[in-house]
Amino acid sequence: MPELRRDPVTGRWVIINTDNPRQPSEYKVEPQPKKSVKCAFCYGNEKMTPPEITAYGVEKREKNSPGWTLRVVPNKFPAMQIEGNLDKAGIGLFDMMKGVGAHEVIIETPDHNSEIPDRDEKQIRELLWSYRDRSLDLRKDKRFKYILIFKNYGFSAGASLDHPHSQLIAMPFVPKRVMGEIEGSVKYFGYRERCVYCDMIRQEAEEKDLTVSENKHFLSFTPFASRFPYETCIIPKEHFSDFTNINDEIIGDLAYILKDTLTRIRKVLKDPSYNYILHSAPLDDPERDDFHWHIEIMPRLTKVAGFEWGTGFYINPTPPELAAKTLREA
Amino acid sequence: MPQLRRDPITGRWVIIAAERAKRPEDFVVSQGEMADDGCPFCEGKEKNTPTEIFAIRAEGTKPDKPGWKVRVVPSIAPILRVEGELNRHGKGVYDLMNGIGAHEVIIETPEHIAHLCDLPVEQIKAVIDTYTRRMQDLEKDTRLKYVLIFKNYGAIAGSTMYKHSRSQLIATPVNPKLVKEELAGAKRYFDYKDRCVFCDLLKQEMDAQDRIILEMGGFIAVAPFASRFPFEAWILPKAHSCDFTRMSEAEKTDLAGMLKHTLAKLKKALGDPPYNFIFHTAPFRRAKTAGSWKTIEEDYHWHIEIIPRLTRVAGFEWGSGVYINPTPPEEAAKYLRATDF
Repeated sequence: MPELRRDPVTGRWVIINTDNPRQPSEYKVEPQPKKSVKCAFCYGNEKMTPPEITAYGVEKREKNSPGWTLRVVPNKFPAMQIEGNLDKAGIGLFDMMKGVGAHEVIIETPDHNSEIPDRDEKQIRELLWSYRDRSLDLRKDKRFKYILIFKNYGFSAGASLDHPHSQLIAMPFVPKRVMGEIEGSVKYFGYRERCVYCDMIRQEAEEKDLTVSENKHFLSFTPFASRFPYETCIIPKEHFSDFTNINDEIIGDLAYILKDTLTRIRKVLKDPSYNYILHSAPLDDPERDDFHWHIEIMPRLTKVAGFEWGTGFYINPTPPELAAKTLREA
Repeated sequence: MPQLRRDPITGRWVIIAAERAKRPEDFVVSQGEMADDGCPFCEGKEKNTPTEIFAIRAEGTKPDKPGWKVRVVPSIAPILRVEGELNRHGKGVYDLMNGIGAHEVIIETPEHIAHLCDLPVEQIKAVIDTYTRRMQDLEKDTRLKYVLIFKNYGAIAGSTMYKHSRSQLIATPVNPKLVKEELAGAKRYFDYKDRCVFCDLLKQEMDAQDRIILEMGGFIAVAPFASRFPFEAWILPKAHSCDFTRMSEAEKTDLAGMLKHTLAKLKKALGDPPYNFIFHTAPFRRAKTAGSWKTIEEDYHWHIEIIPRLTRVAGFEWGSGVYINPTPPEEAAKYLRATDF
């Protein structure tokens, strides 16, 4: 009998196929393309990107030249633009405003072929610091209400460039999915006076069946109502609502668990395309007892079809307990 | 400058990225690979499907034999099961229940034809009749709350095999999230204005004209103001009705013509793209608490959403629920209006 499971935060129902769970080998994973050697994100081609916003690496380096270890540039084809006022307006029923925002690309490494599982932890720590630094800088701009950090890896995940990169979009409103999480966790907190994410972490500490891996400060687990097969969530064990509060003490654990989780996914699913997104509290009220920041990793293994588009109801052919076990044992 | 637009029903924001503007020919249309040997949906192959649930067939012909016009069978790989109890329960912070429901395939023609728009209007009307009959039948099962009718055309849109025109329905024991959001949005608007938001939207679109794709009989096809996807199209009845199954015979014929023409325009303009369509109609109205469906007859308006699959959904969309649409709906409507077939 298939099972219907409800996500405790958003209230979203998911259909889990528990009868004949699909095994990793049954997913058709398109092989990642053979990588080219040189692109606009490689050393020597710095002039091919828009002028850099910031970079990490050797000191006293000339801007937009080699010597960097990580580089942040504006997106060449931005979904939003930084200049201008919002000019909120309405025409009859319809509301609109100008697409004011920031759309940045974080070039994670000069090495065209070094994905997160291939890198040492120092490089991954630098990537995480860059997420924090860009968030802190952009939140000074009071037009922005939310900053979403995300990564698209592989064609099926929407990536159009091979060179390892993450992206960031700062926007003048709190997006719907985040709003859904906030509303759900506020409701839970109102009823129980506890953070719903903390409760999930506590329950997992007893049951252990959703755990992929853990260390002192972080837990990597497959959510009980995972929308996608092998969906994995990385969350700090201690209550933090704002990602930018990461510090020297815990960032090493985060770098380790991110690399570990992505390595397991790569191994079990044969290098699938994936997206990850970082959900932190909205900028107006970043420190709060009812929300808990986390990273959602979504391997792209299934196609989203009419039923999902029409209902927001997802069908997951691999029970999260099985996914966790496979990833744990990898 | 890109523009942010808000859907007046759900409140969903969409980014219309006109700088990335894409015309029909800019999209790489890929059907994806599909196996097409030994189609079990063709007339004469009835024993290759599960036993039929319903069919419109010639008098004197028997179930699971040739002679049908439209045929409904259970899905070979059902995602929900009809037999059993719901058994709602909790497990710590989590809630769950058994996957009770129905998953049926509506075979839209006995002939091996891929696209719905290539069927005659009268055949499409029989398909619409079939949807209505199945919904009326499933409503009798009090465990079920909602029926979604949808179509996946092409491998990219989630169709698995065989280029034989068909749609599916899934009946669920809970009202799905997106449907609830739409219902809540429509109710909120009604509580405030005492009018149906979809009726207001139709009036405004008919005045403005720039997003109208086609007007035929009692129906309108429009590129919604806050389209999530390039060339997204909605079909709405002009006359207010919350429930798709209450259409008159004449309205069903009108709708069949409208579906055929809108789909044909999309097929021609975009080079036969993969697409999904979904029907959004009112849920089964069994009151759980007094007054729970009090105004739905007035506040909700059934409609069809057609989504050509031209762009990939990436991390930003998954993480935010905000869609980036590279084709302004006014442009899309203009192209589609000008497309003859």
